[in-house]
Amino acid sequence: MAYVAVSGGKEAIGESIRLLDFYRSGTDKDVEVEAVENKLSLLVDRIMSEAGLYSKTYAALALKQCEGSLEEAVFLLRAYRSTLTRNYYTDTVDTGAMRVVRRISAAFKDITGGQILGATYDYTHRLINFDMDGESPAELRRRMTAALSAQAPEEVVPCPRLSDELRKEGLIDSFDEDNRSPRDVTVKMLEFPAGRSARLQTLSRADAGFISGLAYSALRGFGQVHPTVGELRCGYVELYVSYLPDENESIFIGEILITEVECFNAADDKDRLKLAVGYGAVFGRNENKAISMAVIDRELDSGGPYPTQDEEFVLTHGDSLEMNGFISHLKLPHYVTFQSKLDSVRKTRVAGNERKL
Amino acid sequence: MDKKRLTRILAKADRQEVAAMAADILKTYRPVILKEPGKTLAMIKMREPVKQSLFYIGEVIVSEAVVEIDGARGVAVVMGDDSEKTLDMAIIDAAVNKGVFTGMETLLALEKGQNDMVMRENAMHLKTMVSFESMDQEAPDDLNAFKKAQL
Repeated sequence: MAYVAVSGGKEAIGESIRLLDFYRSGTDKDVEVEAVENKLSLLVDRIMSEAGLYSKTYAALALKQCEGSLEEAVFLLRAYRSTLTRNYYTDTVDTGAMRVVRRISAAFKDITGGQILGATYDYTHRLINFDMDGESPAELRRRMTAALSAQAPEEVVPCPRLSDELRKEGLIDSFDEDNRSPRDVTVKMLEFPAGRSARLQTLSRADAGFISGLAYSALRGFGQVHPTVGELRCGYVELYVSYLPDENESIFIGEILITEVECFNAADDKDRLKLAVGYGAVFGRNENKAISMAVIDRELDSGGPYPTQDEEFVLTHGDSLEMNGFISHLKLPHYVTFQSKLDSVRKTRVAGNERKL
Repeated sequence: MDKKRLTRILAKADRQEVAAMAADILKTYRPVILKEPGKTLAMIKMREPVKQSLFYIGEVIVSEAVVEIDGARGVAVVMGDDSEKTLDMAIIDAAVNKGVFTGMETLLALEKGQNDMVMRENAMHLKTMVSFESMDQEAPDDLNAFKKAQL
């Protein structure tokens, strides 16, 4: 592969960038960042997840800036993030203490702590609601605020993990806490074989479409057969960092919404079977991505001949910035390489014609 | 009140509520700003339950500030980019460390309101707790039935 530097086009490029504003100017109505943040929150969640940066407001602003292009918004967030220092690492997040807003199991009907459907489109009729076109946002907010005020407060009780109960029964392997420092793929490039921390970080940041497609291929037979979602939970986890004047204390910096999944598969355990678990955790409400991550985590653990079981294939092709950047580069001038290809084609055709004569 | 609780209340509070408490301190004290409010990143470290190992899920934007009141340092680190609120939080922290903070009752009232709102939200979500009826008698209804079947 070879590139060639070209010059010129400065004015045309300037006009091209200005023309982007024209494409955003088709109406007097504005897309307010606050509205994007609160009303397109699933899209905002996806962008934060793929950018590896939890910032709802900036994700919404990025979306506005690039006409809703997912990969451009991810690019903008990644680029902005690279301008900031990183002065803190959080204390280890305890997802067991999550304030759950949704929790389901496809493995058991009755689980300790209960199944909480939360807000889900799973049971909606997929019919366009034409009334929403004229919806009053103020009225919607008033109605929901009144509904919230009318609730009798219920104490928040953390839900135990289903896998912990199965682990106590010896049906799932138990491990001691592994406190080795995680690898950070934003600082050190991936190496293979990748450690578990690099794998999970890479998958959590991956393009949702890419890993959903991979997981789908595994379910269709290009991998292990149909894992079961043992537990899917979505909720808020609290973030703490060390308090600088006294390292024995921590301070609360905020809370983030995440989706976490544990998938179960049957696996060999000498002369009997056990349950093997795949894990997924992503920013925001993004269930299919978290499930896909759990499916692929297990696929990579099991190994095998399929793409989903090939660590290098999975981990090097799913980053939104890298994949879209590389595909996008095909639009850049390849004049020299193409001329070379063209010359080769012409020569073979001339040689072919000579042979015919 | 420990730092976790203090900062949880302040971080969840509105900018105006925090500003009002800081304004009370500023009537008497003149804090020295050691670190102007500014944005930085915090990397989020998680423990995954399968192999109990650690990994990074991603970063979050935080604002930080450091001030001093008569030799007592105050620190604030909070998600978002609200410089004024971050500075006010650092001033309150310094006043607490100096032992001159008088807004404890306000803090407790704020905490009560915040907890109440969380519990009301929780109530809305708990209304979606579901009890599925199995239509297949062969299927284990619950975890206990599954455990018995394993024995």
